[in-house]
Amino acid sequence: MGFLDSILGRTELPKAKTEKLFAISTAAVTLESSLGLKPDGAAAICFKPIESSKYDRARRDIEDLLKISTKESGVLYRLQKDEYGYLWAVLQDPDFEDLVATIHMISQTLIEQGFGTQLLCAVYRFRGEKTVYWIYSFKQGAYYPFVPSGDKQRDNALEFRLKAIMEKEMPVEKDVGMWYPLWGMPI
Amino acid sequence: MKVWKPDLGLQARMLLTIFLLGVVYLIFLAVLVYFRADLLTTLVFIGGFMLLQYFYSDKVVLMSMGAKVVSESEAPELHEIVSRLCSIAGLPKPRIAVVKSNVPNAFATGRNQKSSVVAVTTGILQQLNKSELEAVLAHELTHVKNRDAMVLTIASFISTLAFFFVRNFLLFGGGRRGRDSGSSLIIVWLVSVVVYGVSYLLILALSRYREFAADRGSAIITGQPSNLASALRKISGIMTRIPSEDLRKVEGVNAFFIIPAVAKASIFNLLSTHPPLEARIAALERIEKELAA
Repeated sequence: MGFLDSILGRTELPKAKTEKLFAISTAAVTLESSLGLKPDGAAAICFKPIESSKYDRARRDIEDLLKISTKESGVLYRLQKDEYGYLWAVLQDPDFEDLVATIHMISQTLIEQGFGTQLLCAVYRFRGEKTVYWIYSFKQGAYYPFVPSGDKQRDNALEFRLKAIMEKEMPVEKDVGMWYPLWGMPI
Repeated sequence: MKVWKPDLGLQARMLLTIFLLGVVYLIFLAVLVYFRADLLTTLVFIGGFMLLQYFYSDKVVLMSMGAKVVSESEAPELHEIVSRLCSIAGLPKPRIAVVKSNVPNAFATGRNQKSSVVAVTTGILQQLNKSELEAVLAHELTHVKNRDAMVLTIASFISTLAFFFVRNFLLFGGGRRGRDSGSSLIIVWLVSVVVYGVSYLLILALSRYREFAADRGSAIITGQPSNLASALRKISGIMTRIPSEDLRKVEGVNAFFIIPAVAKASIFNLLSTHPPLEARIAALERIEKELAA
């Protein structure tokens, strides 16, 4: 967001950054060995729909792609709107690599069709003593931990620990203020 | 592939307004220097005043509105909507405040993106559904993103100076050495009146353009221009039936409201901080058509 954009009142949404998306694949090993967190066979990607015929086409493309790719990989998927009007593609597969690849494919398709700016996040679920989510922010190009505990409360202590341990393995968002929770996500 | 085309016309109008404002200000300063007005003291005085306004306006606005900053546990839904919009728009999350008032309205304040506060009235929370509320919040977030509070404060700096001369012409602005102090006093005063009048109109125009820009930003961030259009219709329909005693309180902060709270019956759009509703809705409909094409 440059100075000129401010003066002229231009709104340009930051582009999606997908380079670091795959970092979770290698990090999964450390997550299991040092924290006892196993991939829980579930992941999701969330984006904001647009009122546009082009977007409708992009959504159909994604569904077609999902149908084809999931037949091969055996990933189960469903598309679902949440209470805030955001669309989720929720994936299930015991093979973590397949989940990561499918998430990447969906984000790539959206970016190619011009809707990269509408990507909110990708979420991977891990289980250990507690259920832990690693959220990938497409705007920041980094991951952050989200550990819900009870009624809209977060286990901040565990989240900080996760950050400290995983920082070397994967890009973790440094600004804690950007660790937005996602309550009631369909995963 | 690009989904959103930039609104070059709006940008050009905004730039022209800023340019004209700059020209008026330069002429004014030249006149002041020519007549050896006591510029320094005045500039320091006004500058100090503006700095105070710059640093404290958010607190003053929040206090005068009776806005209460709410935490995530007090207003989880508001926080969730705002934090998602901030993610999409790449903004730090502002604080969120609620004003106990039946007037359906929303405003943003704060000198920069980090210190900003986005406030909504309880009235607007009741009147709008979730997607309309989201559109209104995205409009306010665009004000934050475009630093509108700062832009308008800076734009009105010299205008404030002119206004000061108009009010206090006996104290300031007298030529002191060699020139006929009586007539130069009057000339400086007359010039101040003209500069204040012209810059006032230009600042209002700028404010209206920034409303259009914020509407456009809302459409881009939410991806759904029709939600803001329906929210604007709803709010403005209700605005006219609100008792005036509630409205008087809110006049001072009009420039940052989504809809001006004081319903001016003036037929001159020139004298308004906000564009007329029909123009705003027409602009949103143009964006919608762009999207459908």
